[in-house]
Amino acid sequence: MTCDELRPDYLLYALGVLEEPERSEVRAHLERGCEACAAGLGEARALAFAMGASGDGPAPPRQLRGRILAAAGGVPQRRWSWFTALVAAGSTALAAAGLILYQAHNFRAELAEARIEIERSGAEAADLRQALDLIQAPETREVTFGQDQPAPPRGRVFFHPSGVLLVASRLPAPPPGKTYEMWLIRGGKPVPAGLFTSNRQGNAIYLYRPPTPPAATDVVAVTLEAEGGVDAPTSTPVISAPL
Amino acid sequence: MFPLILAVVAKGDGELMIRLQRRDPQALAELYDRYGQMVFRLILRMVRDNGAAEDLVQETFLRVWNRVGGFDSDRGAVGPWLLAVARNRAIDYLRSKGHRTESTIDLNETEHPALFADLPTDVFHFDLVRQVKRALEQLDSQAREAIELAYFEGMSQSEIAARMGQPLGTVKTWMRRALQQMRKALGGAITA
Repeated sequence: MTCDELRPDYLLYALGVLEEPERSEVRAHLERGCEACAAGLGEARALAFAMGASGDGPAPPRQLRGRILAAAGGVPQRRWSWFTALVAAGSTALAAAGLILYQAHNFRAELAEARIEIERSGAEAADLRQALDLIQAPETREVTFGQDQPAPPRGRVFFHPSGVLLVASRLPAPPPGKTYEMWLIRGGKPVPAGLFTSNRQGNAIYLYRPPTPPAATDVVAVTLEAEGGVDAPTSTPVISAPL
Repeated sequence: MFPLILAVVAKGDGELMIRLQRRDPQALAELYDRYGQMVFRLILRMVRDNGAAEDLVQETFLRVWNRVGGFDSDRGAVGPWLLAVARNRAIDYLRSKGHRTESTIDLNETEHPALFADLPTDVFHFDLVRQVKRALEQLDSQAREAIELAYFEGMSQSEIAARMGQPLGTVKTWMRRALQQMRKALGGAITA
């Protein structure tokens, strides 16, 4: 079979569900170094990733993160059933020793969690450094929004050939099932530029770094949309910043 | 400091994977923070059971934690690898629960870390996920069902034909046409 004939089978091969004889055909092409099939399979794996990432649904329970870290040995797990039983049946001295051990154990767990939080803050600091680099770049254009409006939000947009940074204040956190979506508008045509949210204090910092430089843009706008985003705005912009 | 929210999930994955290879547990925490929700949603959609989904998410991250040594942190794409591992764990669970015959195809073949090197760079663009979702919605219902059975239940075309009560040739034709239609709908959205 030719590569063109096999092309529709790449995804099934990548998913591990392609049957014979097509499966052996794809494998034979790959084993003889067929670049077209290798590239096609790369596309298929990207497509499979997008299919898997496209689902909606609830967030995982909060305790799952700690459970995984404990299982990997990162954070000690709090398992005391045997110990509790022993203390209940045992002497006062043993109970006191148990209490000390328990406190020490908790302290270690909290210390490990604190280290993780510090690491996370470090990652956020790295993100912030990127944002500062964009703000300080000589090519960056800066505009304000909301200053002439009777009601917030207010803030600034920094537009650079490599990305767009939006900083907003008094932007209410979106209600459940909703998110903010940024748009780059050129000639009246909005192009989606990513989803973000604000924190409980109504502050948002959002950096959009597209894989290719954004085209010349007339207006940066933000609308409130359904979680997961939409292809075109469905509501009146809550932020509109002409460049 | 305000939390900074970035559209490109994969930013910094290479550095993160190097830390995972050094057995840094904090790197595992960060990997979970980046991809945990995505993995949980995929698995829950497949197994439709919260308790089982949590167990399988744990298995997924531990498998990646234990096999990260074979991952090329310069060229590999961890998101696609992680989702492939997650999908395979969920399919194994579905197969064991439904007493389905083990497929002749070894799913482990599809999740070797080396397979996720040099993927198209556009893979992480959030627009791609949306375009794929829309392209799937535009397929006719039978073709979409066949594609979803392949992806979300790991069924071979023979198994799909049996489930849908259709001849194998018909199912193959639907799926080939559907995949061509998806490629057309996506245009150049995925480019190597």
